[in-house]
This record gives sequence, structure tokens and C-alpha cells, in this order.
Amino acid sequence: MGEKIGVYVCHCGSNIAGVVDVAGVAKWAEENLPNVRVARDYKFMCSSLGQEMIEKDIKDLGLTRVVVAACSPHLHEATFRNACKRAGLNPYLFEMVSIREQVSWVTKDKAIATEKAKALIAGGVKRVVYHQPLEPLFVDINPNVLVVGGGIAGIQAALEIADQGSHVYLVEREPSIGGHMAQFDKTFPTLDCAACILTPKMFTAGNHPNITLLTWSEVEKVDGFIGNFTVQIRQKARKVTAEKCTGCGVCEEKCPKKVIDTVFEAGMGTRKAIYTPFPQAVPKYPVIDVENCIYYQRGTCKACEKFCPTGAIDFDQKDEMMTVQVGNVILATGYELFDARRIPQYGYGRLANVVTNLEFERLSNTAGPTNGKIVLRDGVTAPQTVGIIHCVGSRDIKYNVDCSAICCMQSLKFAHLVKEKTGAKVYNFYIDIRTPGKTYDEFYRRILDEGVHFVRGKVAEVTDAPRFPGEEGKLIIQVEDTLAGRQLRVPVDMVVLSAAMQPRVDSKQVGQKFGISCSANGWFIERHPKLDPVATMTEGIFIAGVCQGPKDIPATVSQGAAAAARVLGLIGRKQVTLEPVRASINADQCSGCRICNNLCPFNAITFIEDRAVSDINPALCQGCGTCVSACPAGAITGSHFTNQQIMAQIEGVLLNFGNGHEPAEKLEQVPA
Amino acid sequence: MTIPTITNPSFNETFYASLQTPPTGERVRTCLQCGMCSGVCPFGYVMDFPPGRMIAALRSEIFDRVMKSDTVWMCVACYACTEVCPSGIPLTEKLMARAKEELILSGAVPAELQLALENSQRYGNVLGQSPRKRADWTKGIQATVPVFGKEKKSAEVLWYVGDYASYHPRVQTTSRAFAQVLNALGVDFAILGSDESGDGDSQRLAGERGLFEVLAAKNAQAFRKYKFGEIITTDPHAFNAIKNVYPTLGISFPVRHYTQFLAERLEQLKPLLKQPVNGKITFHDPCYLGRANNIYDEPRALLQAIPGAELVEMSHSGKTSLCCGGGGGGMWLEGFQWEKAHTRTSEWRVREAIASGATTLAVACPYEPPRFEDAVKTVREASGMEVRDVIELLVESMEQ
Ligand SMILES: Cc1cc2nc3c(=O)[nH]c(=O)nc-3n(C[C@H](O)[C@H](O)[C@H](O)COP(=O)(O)OP(=O)(O)OC[C@H]3O[C@@H](n4cnc5c(N)ncnc54)[C@H](O)[C@@H]3O)c2cc1C
Ligand code: SF4
Ligand code: SF4
Ligand code: SF4
Ligand code: SF4
Repeated sequence: MGEKIGVYVCHCGSNIAGVVDVAGVAKWAEENLPNVRVARDYKFMCSSLGQEMIEKDIKDLGLTRVVVAACSPHLHEATFRNACKRAGLNPYLFEMVSIREQVSWVTKDKAIATEKAKALIAGGVKRVVYHQPLEPLFVDINPNVLVVGGGIAGIQAALEIADQGSHVYLVEREPSIGGHMAQFDKTFPTLDCAACILTPKMFTAGNHPNITLLTWSEVEKVDGFIGNFTVQIRQKARKVTAEKCTGCGVCEEKCPKKVIDTVFEAGMGTRKAIYTPFPQAVPKYPVIDVENCIYYQRGTCKACEKFCPTGAIDFDQKDEMMTVQVGNVILATGYELFDARRIPQYGYGRLANVVTNLEFERLSNTAGPTNGKIVLRDGVTAPQTVGIIHCVGSRDIKYNVDCSAICCMQSLKFAHLVKEKTGAKVYNFYIDIRTPGKTYDEFYRRILDEGVHFVRGKVAEVTDAPRFPGEEGKLIIQVEDTLAGRQLRVPVDMVVLSAAMQPRVDSKQVGQKFGISCSANGWFIERHPKLDPVATMTEGIFIAGVCQGPKDIPATVSQGAAAAARVLGLIGRKQVTLEPVRASINADQCSGCRICNNLCPFNAITFIEDRAVSDINPALCQGCGTCVSACPAGAITGSHFTNQQIMAQIEGVLLNFGNGHEPAEKLEQVPA
Repeated sequence: MTIPTITNPSFNETFYASLQTPPTGERVRTCLQCGMCSGVCPFGYVMDFPPGRMIAALRSEIFDRVMKSDTVWMCVACYACTEVCPSGIPLTEKLMARAKEELILSGAVPAELQLALENSQRYGNVLGQSPRKRADWTKGIQATVPVFGKEKKSAEVLWYVGDYASYHPRVQTTSRAFAQVLNALGVDFAILGSDESGDGDSQRLAGERGLFEVLAAKNAQAFRKYKFGEIITTDPHAFNAIKNVYPTLGISFPVRHYTQFLAERLEQLKPLLKQPVNGKITFHDPCYLGRANNIYDEPRALLQAIPGAELVEMSHSGKTSLCCGGGGGGMWLEGFQWEKAHTRTSEWRVREAIASGATTLAVACPYEPPRFEDAVKTVREASGMEVRDVIELLVESMEQ
């Protein structure tokens, strides 16, 4: 074949070299593998010196192919492709072999690891010979952006992008934007009122010329790829004509039907059948909740219509579908609260004065159902003793294994609010106090100083069954004080459960809609947990806020802004390059059976009727290979994954078997 | 050449290692020291080393101190700690049972427990009765109770009766009631009679694993002599052993608790339930039916089928049920535990039953009627409270 291949084996510090004999492997490759002109090992191939080494060899030795054996292609394929490109070699004439993730990190035995590294490198060397030079594809980027979820993350992202002049469609499922933050009273650590800092942002988002606000709406379908997504959005019927409604609120006042508000008021207060969730809602137009509206149940009422001064009520309004074109998407769908009923030991749902954190926020909120008075369920009695339980449904393998990240700070905030507003005795029960972050530990010290009682122990149960004198009529918190090494029973009047933040129940479906995946527990998976936290594995789809994992408002806002910056960067480039790894159909071989047509998950295959063959649109194809393997005529080729390339790689991997090289008995011991 | 060092693993090390067997034992390494186990333990407050602190002792290599304390015997193997542990550590089955096992090996066993274990060893039943008299409870009763043997070699159902249900006078009443119901439903069943031995589960959780295995092998031998579709028992401890632990010894037979068996036949049973049973009934979830085996609905479904019955719940119910105090050897540590605690969980339980407004405390485990009836006698406010096995309530409702 006459190819000249350079093979580079990386130590990755001791990550690889600690287990694999890298120098030995390089030497072996140079001596034993066909077409290898040079093989070297180096401490860090991804360093500039490592890359220069490759570039120099390409130029000096006239290398025509390059193989790097290092970490995963995920991490550094682009790095080495660029090195090849700089030296004048088509970047697709390069092959990356993973000997860190697939060898040194998963194999302890040095001899086996070294043999496995050799086998994988042999596969790479055999394969790269058949690589063909490919040219990247370019696509234009539509500057419009879709933001899904109007919590603080989505609002922040939308504002950043809109301010830069691109158009944003902000889709929110509830009647108003604001998300969880709109429900809160004060926010830690500064204890400024949530509404005071959130409402201006909501207002700006609602009135921004570059933002189309679509509340009471959901994304139904997404097609396309980075730069060119087509999105179908369902705008649920509000039964109120936005153009006519002035937001006067007369309808709400006159509506005779009261409903317990389980969303915004977390069940602590009521709303009407026609409602805006809260006074500062954006937009200001109400919606009719048809499930509870008397007219939709019994056919009469229409009080709202009668009193509406502008005739804005429209009982016949239907859901509307709209289609928008965008180049990028930011998902900011947030979280929901752990259902505390799942821990029967805490009595939530059975014991009246056990409340959740969200319920407490509403209790404590001056705009809430009690005007900010912290009282028991009877609506009048102020508690004299309050127990706040941390980690409810978090840090537990039965529910959510992760720490909720905010629940310590939120519990400290509650302790302060209870003390300030009621003077009650407050106990905080915690496993570990986690207050990382600027001024957070200062806040903890402040609460300690305020005289809150801290007990280190995960509460075992909250019960109304008295055992000792003084417990009658109280809620008794039973807990092991792990520092003092004794069991405590603390009688209190009110218990606040700091329920965990957990992924939305529909996060998997939403992820699927946008072609991104969720971790086992349901948070959206970022492209890289450290280096790329707001991008996803799907180009053009970004994530921000708690939908990516538990975090507080400052971190949420940072991610909203970061996702916006990433999107603006792409918009600024106007074009993106796409991997030219695509499938193509050889029309002469295609029998026109159409089997591939419906298999393509990206709808990239069309049937050309007059020529009776199928054809692939390279801009839509993502190179997944489904059609390639399905075509009974073998008419479809996936570039960069041709049969020849794959067979050669397999041959290479198996090269060493059965010719006396391998410690055979050892290899057999490797468990399947 | 390197000189080999002879390592002498400490007791602490070997004990810790012995807990870490898959599939869940190794989770002990992930204990958060949150103390939820210790807090939820009914006797945590009298233990020098409740489960979490025991793990702390292992970690700081002072487990010998745990062995010097006798408060491990306060553990009644109720699974409350296992139920709540956020790290999913098998505390009841592994940690507590292993600690008791070590105490038994070192001879530090309270005398009353020692006697019970010896009885099991010698007579195959913990009450120290003659094995030949195991089926005597069937004598002179109306219901027919066939015994497997020469004449009867196969039946649909093998009713595993168990020690208390065979010998304890109070619990025999429950057995007779079950026989009556089986007759009324026309079930083809038989018991093993003197071929049966104790199930051994409480002995296992009291640290006598060896004895458990001997009893299991004896029962296996008896089971294998006959043909039957499934095993039914009124004893949740036997149910737990046969369902979850016997299979690990290669003894696999389908088994169900009688509440499951009857709940399945509810439609057949309902027309027979004619007499109203008045007053409010509360159900005490036995640890080995509830927490250990997740059966909560079936006994309640049976109670609700009784005309006139109004079911109310106690503060601790379902997963949070409060142990009667009889598990894991507690049955045979009455005196020892009284010394330490000067109170009994069965008394707390009876107080909860009163607070629920119930006049009948329904149970579904042979340990419970005697324990709760004793408690009713000692708790002053409780006089008049009836303690009935679910099956007894069904029979009351069936009677003309
Ligand atoms: C009780 C409590 C108190 C807290 N207090 C504080 C505090 O004091 N300080 C602090 O820094 N942090 C606090 N936090 C954390 C704070 O709530 C979060 O960091 C922040 O609200 C996350 O914002 P978000 O936009 O990511 O999510 P969310 O606020 O959940 O917003 C997501 C939005 O997306 C919408 N949505 C969801 N799915 C869809 C869909 N498929 N289509 C369209 N729209 C959708 C939702 O309706 C919602 O409006 C607290 C948390 C809790 C539970
Ligand atoms: S028609 Fe429905 S929304 Fe309007 S006032 Fe009557 S109940 Fe309320
Ligand atoms: S490889 Fe085939 S199936 Fe996959 S995206 Fe391309 S055309 Fe569609
Ligand atoms: S099983 Fe029950 S008694 Fe034993 S340690 Fe656990 S909670 Fe305590
Ligand atoms: S409940 Fe589990 S994690 Fe917590 S201290 Fe006990 S054993 Fe450890």
C-alpha cells in the first residue's frame, strides 16, 4: 500500500503509563505493525509539544496517516485532527485509539493491559490505511433561538440573547414565567426578597422586542439539526384573547369557583377557575382552568364573560399549533420537589403540621396565603417550637442519591425566618452542613449566632404517638444525636421538611424530544461535567439551570448566561462545520426496496420516485449507520465507517491471537 | 528478595470484612454516619452501640468494645433500621445478626435465650415440647386437619404450622381458626405433623445460623417426602425463612403467607362472612410480613371484607409499624430486655391502638397474640382491648 503511518502512544501522566508499558508498546508497533514508519511515546500527547511532534513528523518523514493511542476520541480527537490539518494532512487520515478509558482505567493487570493496548493499536493501524480524505460540511445557522422553560435560568438566557439582537422564542408550560423562584419569600444568603429581584427580569422578558413569549405552551416536536431546527409548539387555549385583555382582574374577582392552588401556592392557598398565578405574573392575561370551570362542567356560569369590560373571554378558543425555525435550543426546564409522602416515617400528608419547604416559602411570603405569618394549619396559632429536617429524599439511594445542593442553605434561611418572625425555638437536624460558596459559611455562622439549635443526625421519625410526659399533643421528632451519642425525642409544634430537588417526571421524554439523554436519575447530561457543563452531546442543544443538576440561583443564572454565550458564539460564526461522517447510497446498487426510508431517525432519506431509488440528504444525515446495516442490497456506505475500514480494524485487533504473542492463559481469565 | 510479613488481621478487621459480602453487604462501607438507623431503632436509646455507632466503632477499630457490651441483645430484628438506611445497608440481616453470632460464639448469651436455642436444638421446637405432640392441637376439634404420611402423600397445599402455632395454647386457637377456614373453602391441604421442625428464622437472627441451617435441612427433608403445590403458613417468620433464606441453602419451594392466600380467594370468602364484627379494628403490621416482605394490603383487604368492620390506622403503620418486640430472639429475651428498658414495645403498641380509637387489635403473626394480650393486662387504659389474629376475626364473622 505504501502508506507511511506515525503511531503516538500517550502516557497521560501516569493515567496510562501506570498500567500500560507505553514505551514497549511503541517499540513493538514500530517493529511489528505494517506500514508504520515511526512510533513514539510521550508524556502528554495533547500538549503543544506533543502536537508539534506529530506535525514535525508529518512534514519531515512524509507521514500519510497518523494514529494516536491516548484517551477517548471524545476528548481529543479534534485536537489531533487539527494537528494533522496544520501539517497539511487531511484530518480524516487520522485515527484515535482509546487506551485510557478502554484499557488502563479498566484493567489492573499490567501484562494484560499492555497486550490489550497493542491489540487496539494494531486495529487502528490496519484501519487507518483505508481512511479517505473527507471535507467538512458547512451549514448556515439560523439566528433564532428556542428557550424551553421560563424559570430564572430560561429568563436569564433569553434576555442575554435578545439583548444581543437575536430573536428568542421563550416557551413556558405554566400561565406565567418565573418558575420556582417566583414562589419564594427571601433568598439566601443575602435575604433579599425574591420577587424584588425577579419581577424586573420577568417584566423585561415579557416586553422585549426580541422575545416572543409563549406561555401556557409546550414543544410538541423538533426536527432538524444544529443551525436549522424546525419546532412545533402547542399554545394551549387560554380561553382569553390576549389582544383584548387588559389584565384588570375583574374576571378573577367575579369567578365563583375557588380551587386549591397546588402549583404556585403549593396547596397552601386558593385561586379561581380563571386565574393568573400571582399578581406580578408575566404575561398578565389569565387562563381558564377548564377542568374546574363551572361553565365547562355544567354549561352555565360565564360570570367572567359577563363582567369582562373588553370582551376578552373566548370560550371557543382552541389550542393553536405554531411552527418556528431556530438555529439553537436552550433547555431550562428546572426541577420538581421530592414527594415527601414517600418517606412515611416523616408523616407528611398524615400529620397536619408537617409542611414541605415549598409550603413554608408560601407561608413565609407576605404575598402568600397567610400574608407572611408563620402559623400552624389552623391558620392562627404561631408555633413555639419548630424542627427543620434536612436531606428529605436526598442523599438516599432509595430516592435521590445526590445532595440537593441548596437544602442546607435553604434550611438555614428558614431557621432565621422562623426566629425573626415568631421568636420560636428552632431545631435544625442535619447530616452534614454544606455551605460551600462565597459568604455561605458566614451565613451559617450568623444562624448559629442567632441561637438556632443544631442536632447532627438524620431524623428517624416524626410521630404523634406520645411515649413520655410532655409529648401529648406535640409532634415528636425522634433522632439520634450522633455527636452526643444519644437518642433524642424533641417535641415541636411544626416540622418543615427540606424536600429534595429532583428531575421533572417527564425529563426523559423531553430529553428524547430534543435528542439528548438523561443520567440514570433523570438530570440532563452535559457534554463534559467539568469543561462543558451547558452543552450536550447533541450539537445545537444546550442546557441551563437545575435541569442539569441541583444548584442555587447564582449558579443557575451563571449557567443561563453561559448557555446564551455559547449560542451567541455560534450565531456569530454564522456557519457551523459538520462532521462529514455521512451515509450515501450508491444508486446503481439500490433496489428501491425503501426499507431504509422509515428507519432513519433523522428523516434524512427520501425516495426519488422517477428513478425508483432512495437518496440521503447529507445535511440531515447524522451518520448513525442504521440504514447502512439495514440495506439488504448493501447499497449504503457510511463514510469513515466503511466495511473495509471496520473489517481491517477487527483484523488488526485479532492480529496477535493465536500466533504465540499473547499470554493466552491470562487473556482467557479476563471475565466476560 | 522481600521478606514476607505475617499479617495478623485483628478481630475488628475480620468482622468488618465478614459483613462485606455481595450483593449488598459491601454497602456498609458507604455508611454516612447519619444515625437514622439508631434513631428509628425501638431500643436504640438503651443500646450502647446501636447500628450506626457499631459501624463507627468498626471504622475506628474499637469493635471489641461492642463485644463487651451486652446491649446488642436488645435488637429485636425488626428491620426498622434496614428500612430507613439511606445507604441501603443490610443492618438487620448482616450487622446485627453477625454481632449476635459473635457473642454466641464467645458464650456471652443471656440464659433464657440459651435455653430457647437448646430447646430448638434438642426438640426441634423452641418451646421444648415433645416433637411427637406437634399435631396434638388438631385433636378433638371440629375441623379436619389431614396429616401427610402413609395415607396422604400429596395435597394442593402444605400448611407449615410452626412452633408457636403448634404448641402455644393461645396461638393454637389461631391454628384451629385457619383449619376451619381451609375446610370452609374446600382447600385440599395437609400438615407435616411430627415431621415438621421449627423454621429457625428467629434463631438465625438471634445469631444461631448453624442451628437455623440444621432446622432448614430437617424441614427440607420433610418437604421432599410429599407432593404439594405450595406452602402456606400463618407464621411470617417461617414465611420469610422459606421464601428468602431457604433458597440460599438450595431449598426452594413456593410459599405464601395465609393473608396472601386468602386475599386471592376473597370472592369465595366474602359470602361466608355473614356475622358483623362490631367496633373499630386496627391492624398491626408484623415486621416479617411488612418491612421484610412488603405485604401490607392483603391483611387489610381481608379485614375490610368483614361486615361491620371499620379499619383505623395507628400512628405507626405499614412501613413504620412498631415491632411487638418478639423478633430476632426478643421472644426469648423477655426478662433480659425488661431489665434494660423497664418497658416493652408491645405496651407502646397497645397504647397506640387505644389512641387510634380501635377496640380490636388485629395481628397476623403467632408471636403477637400472647405478647399483646400481656401488654393489654399491664397497660391500665387498655382493658377491654381485644387482640385477634385476622384469621380469628374471619372465623368469628363466619360463625352462625
Ligand atoms: C424551597 C426552596 C427554596 C430555595 N431557596 C433558594 C434561595 O433562597 N436562594 C437560592 O439561590 N436558591 C434557592 N433555591 C434553589 C432555586 O429554586 C433554584 O436554583 C432555581 O429556582 C432554579 O431555576 P430554574 O430556572 O433552573 O428552574 P425552575 O425554577 O424550576 O424553572 C423551570 C421552568 O420551566 C418550566 N418547564 C418545565 N418543563 C417544561 C417544559 N417541558 N416545557 C415548557 N416549560 C417547562 C417550569 O414550568 C418552570 O417555570 C431554593 C429551592 C427550593 C426548593
Ligand atoms: S365561566 Fe368558569 S372561569 Fe368564568 S367565572 Fe365561571 S367558573 Fe370562573
Ligand atoms: S446514517 Fe442513515 S439512518 Fe443514520 S442518519 Fe444518516 S441517513 Fe439516517
Ligand atoms: S433491627 Fe430493629 S431492633 Fe434491631 S437494630 Fe435494627 S431497628 Fe434496632
Ligand atoms: S442509617 Fe445507614 S447510613 Fe445512616 S448511620 Fe445507619 S447504617 Fe449508616
